[in-house]
Amino acid sequence: MSIVESLELAVKNIVSSKVRTVLTMLGIIIGVAAVIVIVGLGNGLEGYVTDSFSDMGTNTLTVTVMSRGSTRSLDVEDMYDIVEENSEYLDLCSPSVAMSGYVKIGSDTVDSTSSLGVSEDYFEIAGVSVAQGRGLQYSDMATRAKVCVIGAYLNQAYFGGNAVGQTLRVGGQSLEIVGVLAQQDEELEEGGSDDCLYLPYTTAERITGEASTYTITMKDENYIDESVAALESSLYAVFASDDYYTVTSMSEMLETMTSMINILVGVLAGIAAISLVVGGIGIMNIMLVSVTERTREIGIRKSLGAKERYIMQQFVIEAAATSALGGIIGILLGDGLSVIASTVIARVMEETLTVSPTLAAVALAFGISVGIGILFGYLPAKKAARLNPIDALHYD
Amino acid sequence: MNALIEFQQVCKYYYMGDTTVTAADHICFQIYRGEFVAIVGSSGSGKSTCMNIIGCLDVPSEGIYLLNGKDVGQMNKNQLAEIRNELLGFIFQQYNLLPKLNLVENVEVPLMYAGVPKGERRERARAALEQVGLGDKWRHKPMELSGGQQQRVSIARALVGNPSVILADEPTGALDSRTGREVLAMLQDIHRRGNTVVLITHDNSIAVQAQRIIRLEDGHVVYDGPSDAPEAVVVTPRAAGGGGRPA
Repeated sequence: MSIVESLELAVKNIVSSKVRTVLTMLGIIIGVAAVIVIVGLGNGLEGYVTDSFSDMGTNTLTVTVMSRGSTRSLDVEDMYDIVEENSEYLDLCSPSVAMSGYVKIGSDTVDSTSSLGVSEDYFEIAGVSVAQGRGLQYSDMATRAKVCVIGAYLNQAYFGGNAVGQTLRVGGQSLEIVGVLAQQDEELEEGGSDDCLYLPYTTAERITGEASTYTITMKDENYIDESVAALESSLYAVFASDDYYTVTSMSEMLETMTSMINILVGVLAGIAAISLVVGGIGIMNIMLVSVTERTREIGIRKSLGAKERYIMQQFVIEAAATSALGGIIGILLGDGLSVIASTVIARVMEETLTVSPTLAAVALAFGISVGIGILFGYLPAKKAARLNPIDALHYD
Repeated sequence: MNALIEFQQVCKYYYMGDTTVTAADHICFQIYRGEFVAIVGSSGSGKSTCMNIIGCLDVPSEGIYLLNGKDVGQMNKNQLAEIRNELLGFIFQQYNLLPKLNLVENVEVPLMYAGVPKGERRERARAALEQVGLGDKWRHKPMELSGGQQQRVSIARALVGNPSVILADEPTGALDSRTGREVLAMLQDIHRRGNTVVLITHDNSIAVQAQRIIRLEDGHVVYDGPSDAPEAVVVTPRAAGGGGRPA
């Protein structure tokens, strides 16, 4: 008796008791669907984060410095020198001076805008272009010009699209708007990428204090480790200690984020997988009942020459087939839910986060459900195979 | 000529708590190829035990059972399953067909366990159904048939593997007398075609349809001889036990 024949028998039995089979499979269906949706969600999240990071440019390094007394400190000029020294690896540099104060436009106070003091190279580093007016220039830095470039959101929301030439106030300082950046997000919204303001770092330093964070681009993002090492050795020369500066690459941060997402997804998928085990126990329970119900059939088959291993094979394959069928339904359900989830996220959160189940997750879910069927079908099958044919024949 | 079935001092004990029940007590007989033998006895006489041992569903506690010259008592479960498959054809009182399978699938079961390929299996099963007059009903499920028809299916199933022994356990027990007679006629026909038939029954009127009767009482053989002898149907006192050997 071949495996194929056992499978045919199993399918016949599954089809002949549909309701019971569906109820038996329910645990597996839910478990597999949950695992697939969660893994798909994790994937989507990872893709979303990767996209966001690559918008910012994965070839950028972020340097944060602290001053070590008065002798060992690093100002913007020193940092430019360091970048110049390492021009083999490093390209552009811009300080980032985060402004804490609100933006005041006329009598309105805008608290969602992120204001940053930057150099003239920043827009190239960040990959944004100027749509109206001009960008920041070297002369603005040198003269500590009271000018700024604003994002498309502020332009639309507060100046009706004609911001250039108008003024606003940041941290008590009045600034003239000299340029408006091109729109970055699909829609303009408060707190989005377009709700921003850039002013010369020299001007910003006068308002909030010296720059301590720098954004530096690499010539070639394939040499991240070398670039970071070169930068760190120059910084070490200044501070004589590595406690006063940190160098972070965007790709490192991306890796950190990705591994955090993966851990989160792993934990969630693990919890969902518990349902698979519960489903397996459900299958075992039903198979045990089935062995009792079919005692007579087993006796007949044995009297007709079925060896123990054929009976065993028949029951194990039936359990595995039930479980595998549950797995397939679970996979379809999971895929369906993923599509729905993607749509809902797009509608509700106005972000594109595609919940995309991987082929590996689908294959694994299917494999696990078959494995569970075999594992939990084994005990009932063993029980069936061991039945004494005489007792089994006279069982009612 | 060697006996097909040979019981040498076969004993079977069952243990129920502290008491030991002797179901078969030093039973000896031989059945030869081509015989039609009825093993008769009332309930508790040991005929079911004999049937289980002959059918290789059970092994003797003591003594030797030779089937086709092979000692069955020494075999493991797998070997017993093989013997049942190859050498024995069962006909049960309750037909014991598998309700979810149609007739031809039911008849195929022994061939499936024998490893006969699918096409040949189907062909042989159809032929066996043809033989019992149910060739046109092969797609039906057992429940759609009358008792007599179901028993004919089980006869077809017993015959399909060309076994050495057809073992019929009260084959007419669940049938009315007319269909019972039909089934008996069929068994006699099978015998005439050269098969060895062993019929187990409690009913003398059925037993006399066989050539030879082995009568059991309390685990002993009390009569073993031709079915047309007057003492074959008389329940002899136990003292007369043993009985003659077949001619």
